[in-house]
Amino acid sequence: MIMSNVAIAGVGYTPVFVSKRKDVNIAEMISESVATALENTGLTPDDIDAVTFGNMQTFEGLNMPHLWSAEHILAVDKPTIRISTGGTTGMSTLQAAYYYVASGLYDIVMAVSWEKQSEGDSQVGLAGIVMPEAMVMVQHGLDLFGGGGLSAMGGGSTGAASFQAMSYLHHSGADPEHIDKMAALERSNAALNPYAHLRKKTSVEDIQATPFIAWPLRFGHTCPTSDGATTCIVMSEEKVRKMTDGNVAWITGLGSATSDPSTANFLEGQLTDPAEQEPARIASAKAYKMAGIKDPSRELDMAEMYNGFAHQSLMWLEKLGCCKEGEAHKLLDAGALNIDGEIPTNASGGVFSTNAIGASAMNRPAECALQIMGKIEGGHKIPKKIRKAVSHGWGGMFQYVTVMVLADEPMKS
Amino acid sequence: MAYNKDLETREVQATWDVTTYQYKLDGRGAKVLADGMKEKTIRGIKCPQCGRVYVPGPTYCRVCYIDIDDVVDCSDEGVVMSYCIEMADVRGNPMDEHRVSAMIKFDGADTWFIGTVHGIDPMDVKIGMKVKAIWKDVTEGNLGDIQRFEPV
Ligand SMILES: [Zn+2]
Repeated sequence: MIMSNVAIAGVGYTPVFVSKRKDVNIAEMISESVATALENTGLTPDDIDAVTFGNMQTFEGLNMPHLWSAEHILAVDKPTIRISTGGTTGMSTLQAAYYYVASGLYDIVMAVSWEKQSEGDSQVGLAGIVMPEAMVMVQHGLDLFGGGGLSAMGGGSTGAASFQAMSYLHHSGADPEHIDKMAALERSNAALNPYAHLRKKTSVEDIQATPFIAWPLRFGHTCPTSDGATTCIVMSEEKVRKMTDGNVAWITGLGSATSDPSTANFLEGQLTDPAEQEPARIASAKAYKMAGIKDPSRELDMAEMYNGFAHQSLMWLEKLGCCKEGEAHKLLDAGALNIDGEIPTNASGGVFSTNAIGASAMNRPAECALQIMGKIEGGHKIPKKIRKAVSHGWGGMFQYVTVMVLADEPMKS
Repeated sequence: MAYNKDLETREVQATWDVTTYQYKLDGRGAKVLADGMKEKTIRGIKCPQCGRVYVPGPTYCRVCYIDIDDVVDCSDEGVVMSYCIEMADVRGNPMDEHRVSAMIKFDGADTWFIGTVHGIDPMDVKIGMKVKAIWKDVTEGNLGDIQRFEPV
């Protein structure tokens, strides 16, 4: 099937991503990114045909935030849907906008994603994913926070991720020190990015000075909780020709896939290794095929990976075919993942440095788009010309993956 | 857009009760495992089509999507598939006693169960290591009957 060409014509971030935006409420914060996206594209509210909107379910304990925010997101009199697919929410929201435009139904769609974690309890939100099962296990005598082995899980996502990290280290041959090194690289990248949350040049020694939460993961390997919003303007090729200067980023491929829950599925028997991540292979293969990419390890100029934890950047590079299994840590050692390396990885600092969750998987393709358009503000601008980029989202119960490939040229029909 | 970090919105306190859920317990699944534990036996449910053994068993094979109820006994020994060492609480405060939390595949099963591994220096634990369940002296027929795991 030949799809219509669709582009990201512009991106709008909130002025900052920080722990607490005390100066605005949720709708006001979201509207900042919407206004900036309009400003950056020169569009007016009337130009927007439809809106897609994403954030985490329950994290702020709010129902229908898209309708509460209707005026702030220019949704009045327009089709509006809310999307919530866990960590992948931001990219799912962008993919939905893509579907709208690629189908020919609408020409200009605005994809809005956000999180204001300071106005909720993320641990409650995360617990809400497994609470019914966990309660049944407790009824059956398993001590959630005691000696039953579940206290790492009970302690939140870092505990759950530590099982994935250990399996990844075992199968890849990487050392725990490679996680420290990746963490230091990304935090130092974030220091250059004005829209990053944790902005401090960080050394491997700084990371190693932080306490372990659950071996092999340290406090310094985990993402912050952030407040912030991101808006992308998605446009048909016809409108790009008519309404822009042509400097846009084309969405040339996308894919998504799920496996069974590969963590905390103990009540019904966990089948899958949390470090296997087969959906990443399936989703990326689909996206590369669509984008005409035959060898991602050679053809991609940059990667933006969804990494709540520092080991994941390395793991995803392998799962998404940017290198062979077990080779990501060698690329790291060789400097290939640096901003001026062969395959700059999370030049933005990644989710690991900025995590307004609902927006996190949109910031990945948004960063790729800005790098392609040459519109990066800050020192994390990649020095070479970016022609093809891969972005990635991840979440759910360690099982759902979204992929989007962006390019400086549209696909030829 | 202007960002004014000195401006403050008003904070409103609220609580949110998230304690009421219904979950079907019909004598299969986790109950098969819990009941077996009273006899110090690991019981799972096998899919007749693909041969997968689930511990605990769901009422249907998640791969074949057919109802399953063929109860089979597995070994109470198994293999460490992955693990972590709990060293701090969620706030990052170090814990006095480190504890190995492991995902364990019982011999004869295809799924990963969770437990703690004792009787070994945490830093010596390895993926692929054989461990066995250490049962409580008096079992009660619940998931707490396995007190811990130890290396074989
Ligand atoms: Zn089956």
